[in-house]
Amino acid sequence: MKRKTRHIVSLIAAVVFASLAVGATAAEPTGTEIMQAVYDRPQGKDMSGVLTMTLVDAKGKERVRSIKQISGSFTGMDKKLMVFQSPADVRGTSFMNWSYAGQGKGDDQWIYLPALKRVKRISSEGRGDNFMGSDFTYDDLGDRQPMEDTHTLTSTETVDGEACWVVESVPKDPKDLYSRTITWISKGKTVGLKRDYYDKRGTLLKTLRISSIESVSGIWVIKKTEMRNEQKKTSTRMEFSEVKIDSGLVDGDFTERAMTKGL
Amino acid sequence: MKHAVIDGYGPGGAASSRAIYESGLSLSKSVAITASVVLMLLGAVQARAQEQEGAILNGYARSKVGALVEDGSYFIAENTLDLRLSYSSGDAACFANTVLYEREGEPALPELREAYIDLSGGAFDLRMGKQQIIWGKGDGVFITDIVSPKDLSRFLVPDFEELRLAVTGARLDLYAGAHSLELVWLPWFTPTISPAAGSLWAPALPFPITPTVQAAELPEMELESGEYFARYSYMGSSFDLSLMGGWFWNDTPAFAVVSKAFTPGVGLTALTVEPEYYRTLAAGYAVSGTLGPLVLRSEGAWYGGRRFQGNPLAFAVGYAERDTVQYLVGTDFSVAGYNFGLQFIQDIIVDHDDDLTDEATKNTATFVVAKTFLGETLTAEIFSYLGLDDGDALVKPKITWDASDALELFAGAYIFLGDEGDFGQYDARDGAYVGAKLSF
Repeated sequence: MKRKTRHIVSLIAAVVFASLAVGATAAEPTGTEIMQAVYDRPQGKDMSGVLTMTLVDAKGKERVRSIKQISGSFTGMDKKLMVFQSPADVRGTSFMNWSYAGQGKGDDQWIYLPALKRVKRISSEGRGDNFMGSDFTYDDLGDRQPMEDTHTLTSTETVDGEACWVVESVPKDPKDLYSRTITWISKGKTVGLKRDYYDKRGTLLKTLRISSIESVSGIWVIKKTEMRNEQKKTSTRMEFSEVKIDSGLVDGDFTERAMTKGL
Repeated sequence: MKHAVIDGYGPGGAASSRAIYESGLSLSKSVAITASVVLMLLGAVQARAQEQEGAILNGYARSKVGALVEDGSYFIAENTLDLRLSYSSGDAACFANTVLYEREGEPALPELREAYIDLSGGAFDLRMGKQQIIWGKGDGVFITDIVSPKDLSRFLVPDFEELRLAVTGARLDLYAGAHSLELVWLPWFTPTISPAAGSLWAPALPFPITPTVQAAELPEMELESGEYFARYSYMGSSFDLSLMGGWFWNDTPAFAVVSKAFTPGVGLTALTVEPEYYRTLAAGYAVSGTLGPLVLRSEGAWYGGRRFQGNPLAFAVGYAERDTVQYLVGTDFSVAGYNFGLQFIQDIIVDHDDDLTDEATKNTATFVVAKTFLGETLTAEIFSYLGLDDGDALVKPKITWDASDALELFAGAYIFLGDEGDFGQYDARDGAYVGAKLSF
């Protein structure tokens, strides 16, 4: 029921924002309203696909990881299961995350290592740690709630031919990994097209670029993205393929059994 | 004491190894036949793999060389080829893992590590064949991990994944939401492999004089002599829980006194013992959960009628049967990118007798710290066992560098501290090793 309510809110938000985008000459929405609309954007009840992650070091050497993943929302919690397909030495390794948005509860996380044949509960405190050696942190990949930052609409610009709002977001928590982020959000799709991350000293740390967005089952899905660390000169490309939305995943698809057997 | 850390690492090494070698079909012949079957299976399925996308062949090749610090002599010189073939079609699947070992200059030996068939339904999985079954939530500790025996021929020196031996039987998993029930039946008994007598890792036998050790007999394969295990598991948002039980053969034998001779004024002058495998009943739990930044876990078990060696003058058969309790409490946490793990383990012999070789309680701890560097291509880890009663320890530092996605280079050491105790007894056997692993 809670999820259904959120979908209704999302639809209303989309309609309102479409109206705002059409009447762009009228008063612009606030930064907070824009980021809330991005957060509430319909994403489907579940999603599955294959993630190909290419890690590029400062010398241009590439390492490629292929990961099958499924995700879904069930009774107040979002669940995600990722199973490594390659490279060979990590094949079969799986990682599962259950998150509880707005409930004040930390994520539950487990990892399965085929060599040890055991599912192990792990700490989810390292949200600032890099995800699998990439330039993305776990926090970068998660659904950050708008209430965690103070948002300001600073300007409007055009990115790849699309009219965008430019929103500066400053974390309310001074211990946050970044001092601020600047996001370019497509007015038509209510999707972020690029984002700059600034470190605690206020220096540009990372840049995120979205190079491909496609509509799958009526929902905008980011298909290709690249995070570049401007200080270390490393980058990570992510490409999603075989994407399916609302394919009927159920709570029982996110279990220890699924972790050990794979997807 | 047969305790939680090295349960089964008793003085039965020579005997149990001998039992394997004397069990009818010679080992080499058995291996050769097994290898032939596996190679045929691999060949047949590999050929089909080119046509069926459900078949996957992968594995690794690894070379490892290690030397003792004391005299520089090699104690590890091995080449390993590990092949894993899996094939799935609908609700059925099969898997075979065969390993070709070349150790310390001996001829290469193939070993069938696992070979099983899986059948799956909406609410069940059935696995039949040779398989590893791993239970428990502790790291490097085997309190409720009682199904698969271990290869302790080189003590705790190998990586944990190489310590486990497969068992042959059937395993049925039943699922209902977050709950599952696992039932295991093993008609064939597989003993733990202890260090061979005279080897680098052979422990001292718990007798006042050196005994004559007769050959052990493995339990016969009969319906009533099978091993039975059951485990209930729950995975939830607050905690994970397992409750287990088993009626099984202890993986290492107890030594029964066959004959002994006394000389007036001298005491015990001759002793003949026979390793005996015996049944044990066990029940236990394993639980883990998170508390803020901490992952907490605990594991414990009661074992009925375990046999403990004792003074042959006090115990006519050389051992006494006692119930035991083993448990651990532990936590994992991260600080500044370093991952830490701490565990405390206690072994308790109920109704202890002073004439038993083992003490009434045994306290052990483990400590691990690990960190990755260079985009997770470099991993440094130190795992250590700490004997709290004898002040001894085994420290295992290891560094691994992923030179590429396929090539891994590693180096490590085994450092024994103390003069006595399970780890201190090997104080002169500190060693270091280097190696390379190519995955495909």
